[in-house]
Amino acid sequence: MPVVELSYTRLQKLIGKVSKKQISDSLPFLGLDIESENKDLVRVEYSPNRPDYSTDFGIALGLQGLLGIKTGAIKLAIKRSKKYPISVNSSVSKIRPFVTGIIAKNGKIDDSMIKQFMTMQEDLHFGIGRKRKKSSIGIHDLDKISFPLLYTTTNKNYEFIPLNSEKPISISEIMTNTDLGKEYGSILGHSSMVPIILDSNQQTVSFPPIINAAVTTVTSKTKNLFVEVTGINKEDAEDMLSVVATILQKAGFVLESVHITGSKNSTPKLEQKKISVTSKLINQTLGLNLKTSKIISSLKKSRLDASSKGKQILCTIPAYRFDIFGPMDLVEETALGYGIQNLEPMLTPSQTIGQINPISLELKSLSQIMIGIGFLEALNSSLTSKRVLYEMTNRNSEKIISVLDSKSQEHTILRDSILPGLLENLSKNIHESYPQKTFEIGTVFTLNDSVSEKTNFSGISAHQDANFTEIKSVLQSALKTGFGLQIDTKTTTHPSFEDGRCATILQNGKPIGIIGEIDSKIIENYKVRVPVVGFEISLSESILKSI
Amino acid sequence: MSQVFHEIEKKIISSLKNKPNQTSESLEKSTKLSSDQIRRGIEWLKLKNLAIVKESTTSVICLGKNGLESLEKELPERRLLNLLKNKPKKLSDLQKELGFVFGPAMGLARKNNWVEISSDKISLKNSPSSLPGEKTLKFIGNNKLSADKIDQNDLSLLLKRPDFITEEITKIKEISLTESAKSTVLSDSSGAIDVEAKVPEIFVARTHPLKDTLDEIREIFVTLGFSEIIGNMTQSSFWNFDALFTPQDHPARELQDTFYLDAIKSKKFASSEQIRTVSESHKKNWRYNWDINEAKKTVLRTHTTCVTIKHLAEKKPDEARIFSLGRVFRNEKVSYKHLVEFNQIEGIVVGKDANLRNLMGIQREFYKRIGITKIKFWPTFFPYTEPSLQTMVYNERLGKWIELFGMGIFRPEVTKPLGITKPVLAWGGGIERIAMLKYGLDDVREFYNNNLNWLRSVSKCQ
Repeated sequence: MPVVELSYTRLQKLIGKVSKKQISDSLPFLGLDIESENKDLVRVEYSPNRPDYSTDFGIALGLQGLLGIKTGAIKLAIKRSKKYPISVNSSVSKIRPFVTGIIAKNGKIDDSMIKQFMTMQEDLHFGIGRKRKKSSIGIHDLDKISFPLLYTTTNKNYEFIPLNSEKPISISEIMTNTDLGKEYGSILGHSSMVPIILDSNQQTVSFPPIINAAVTTVTSKTKNLFVEVTGINKEDAEDMLSVVATILQKAGFVLESVHITGSKNSTPKLEQKKISVTSKLINQTLGLNLKTSKIISSLKKSRLDASSKGKQILCTIPAYRFDIFGPMDLVEETALGYGIQNLEPMLTPSQTIGQINPISLELKSLSQIMIGIGFLEALNSSLTSKRVLYEMTNRNSEKIISVLDSKSQEHTILRDSILPGLLENLSKNIHESYPQKTFEIGTVFTLNDSVSEKTNFSGISAHQDANFTEIKSVLQSALKTGFGLQIDTKTTTHPSFEDGRCATILQNGKPIGIIGEIDSKIIENYKVRVPVVGFEISLSESILKSI
Repeated sequence: MSQVFHEIEKKIISSLKNKPNQTSESLEKSTKLSSDQIRRGIEWLKLKNLAIVKESTTSVICLGKNGLESLEKELPERRLLNLLKNKPKKLSDLQKELGFVFGPAMGLARKNNWVEISSDKISLKNSPSSLPGEKTLKFIGNNKLSADKIDQNDLSLLLKRPDFITEEITKIKEISLTESAKSTVLSDSSGAIDVEAKVPEIFVARTHPLKDTLDEIREIFVTLGFSEIIGNMTQSSFWNFDALFTPQDHPARELQDTFYLDAIKSKKFASSEQIRTVSESHKKNWRYNWDINEAKKTVLRTHTTCVTIKHLAEKKPDEARIFSLGRVFRNEKVSYKHLVEFNQIEGIVVGKDANLRNLMGIQREFYKRIGITKIKFWPTFFPYTEPSLQTMVYNERLGKWIELFGMGIFRPEVTKPLGITKPVLAWGGGIERIAMLKYGLDDVREFYNNNLNWLRSVSKCQ
């Protein structure tokens, strides 16, 4: 979850008359988890579906609503203008087809505002921009640009001075030698051409989605901004723009439109949308009995507009609330505006009778029997390593099932057997007193046409006098007591077991597992100094009655 | 209060009362106990502060190889004098008769003027009745003696000669009673044993503590009217993500968060109708090109919700309380806070009147039954529920609020495509976190370490 750092003093200025405590008490009820607090600073986690909460401006708008200071939908006041034309060349259509943007004038930019804009930009890129692939944003100093602009393509030898550089660099150099180029260059694919925004003096404004030109850098001296968003989908680019426009307006800028033409592009409208919902759905879903007027005032506290129209409540949703899909989202907005803390939990009697899964019951019985015999229950991960599963035990690793890109070397392979894990446990307990007798019942995975899952049951006994007879007695008694089952053992060999001390376990002549004395070399691998005996069987449908 | 003693202890104490400072060997004789019983008895008495064991060393003297030979055949110089008693003899004859000892014997005899050498003959000059060392040799004989009992002058002469005398240092353990033991009264209460004594520990076989927590939680939901369903840990991305309205380019679906099985595609995971309706919901709401190949990728389930949604899509019940409990996986770096594999419970309520307050009520009841009463609900976000809440519970030991189960009502974008018409309340969360609170653990890895020291010591009823 993304995190944003806020200052209580700044929030108080943005919200109006409100105490620090009111703010910190209300943040969680806006869906913002306080991660840490340090005097005036507070770090909060916000949900990725609310990119407007990536700045204190957006959070201030939400808190104003929740605290009843300012309610209702935020309307964007955009001065329609043709002073800022952008034309689109059709060559971009196969690379990054859409551009959109807005002008924001007469703002007072300070360092903390720049910091908020930067985190907003980063979070928008990461979240709804899908690491800049879907859409990306550039914020520029308007006064360093001369309109009209052209969104077009250029080749990789093209040079300009990018952000944080003092001399011109070629596109191919940016792609191969800079951090941003290396990280995001792949978005542009293998095309020989890349998108570029040029102004009327042929000066580069931006090389989306990688980097801006140095000349348009925003500083604390900047008064007027130009924001451009490029992307692979028109609606997504406009969604991102709507968040930025709302934030800039709250930050004190006056918005003015750009005029976009060419190659299926057009001027963004950033229009509100209308969705209706019934009081019935809201009350039924929340378990409340709210009057329409209360629902309307709750929706307004969630910074939406609402009015009743017959049985329907008609809601007006600002463009930046593209997380709202339909009526059910309005139920949640009502709940938030009403206040989650005002919802009293209610336990209604169950109409159904509960039941433990019969397989769970059978497995629990089996573990009780093993405990009766004196075996301690162990639990190991199903995702383990090649070392534990195969190398330490000499087992055949032909049908290995591995996961991709695991962050942990100890967890890369799905187990096809439980016994290796139990043996590994012994090596971690060599200083504990013996006898050590453990068992585990768990899922194992086998690869045939696809992956299949089975429940296996394995036990080991390690002590000075451990021998084949002991472990066969244990398994025989456990299966007899548990399932009324008779087993036979037939000589076999197995890489993990000592030759001549190892047998296949047969149920009605059908092999169900392996039993024996663990090979002394394997015991040595684990640095264990006592004999170890063990077994493993598959608890298939011929044993468990409930499968 | 008279102490209760073991029979062994009684015998040792009374023997020591009669004769203080005894060795174990002497105690064996006086008590007629075996050496092992004496050893144990002394250990017990030492633990009770009733006996003291003092160790000391003494040195003893006995004859060495040459000393013993001389004891049998007389000293070499005596043998020489005896041979010369009747008449002088040739040097070569004497050498033949005395062998190795001729040299040292001859040396001593000449030095002390006992013999005379003329041309090749050796004759007796005078013969003393007692030779130096002779007396001491006979005194020691075959015995081991303390050095202070022997004539020191004589002994020093023998000590100079090779292998005549050996010195043995022996350790002696002497056992005596402490002052408090001397005044103990040995009662005769028959059959009484030392009920205050320490006894050996038995390591009890038991279920795993985490299993106990799982069973406890399972029982609670069953009593609340829920039935358990089980499902596979390997799932198609379709049921783990697509059916739950998680777009295919969502960050949670990336390799760095989710485990994908290498080159294993799921087959026949859903009906063509299900695939059509789910993909349409994605295309319409998330505006992208939904790809069946993404849905086919096999994942290790990231939540048990895939099991419940599959069950719902299949049975389409109008009324149901169902839960699923099992392992889920996240591609995380393992730490004291995070595991790659952990247990999750996930439950649902289906019913035409199911609502958010009911959902909160079930949560409150569940927490009450595991002993947590201080709870609150906060809004949160999940891609597949709306509205969505999370429970925060207060932990006294840590002194802070902790996030536990998440919950919500399945979005229409999830239920409608699968033909589920009634509202579905859903909640879920990790079990290890609850178990950590229960067992007071700060490191979640302990549950899977199978560390016998912990498993043998943690109490079952908490």
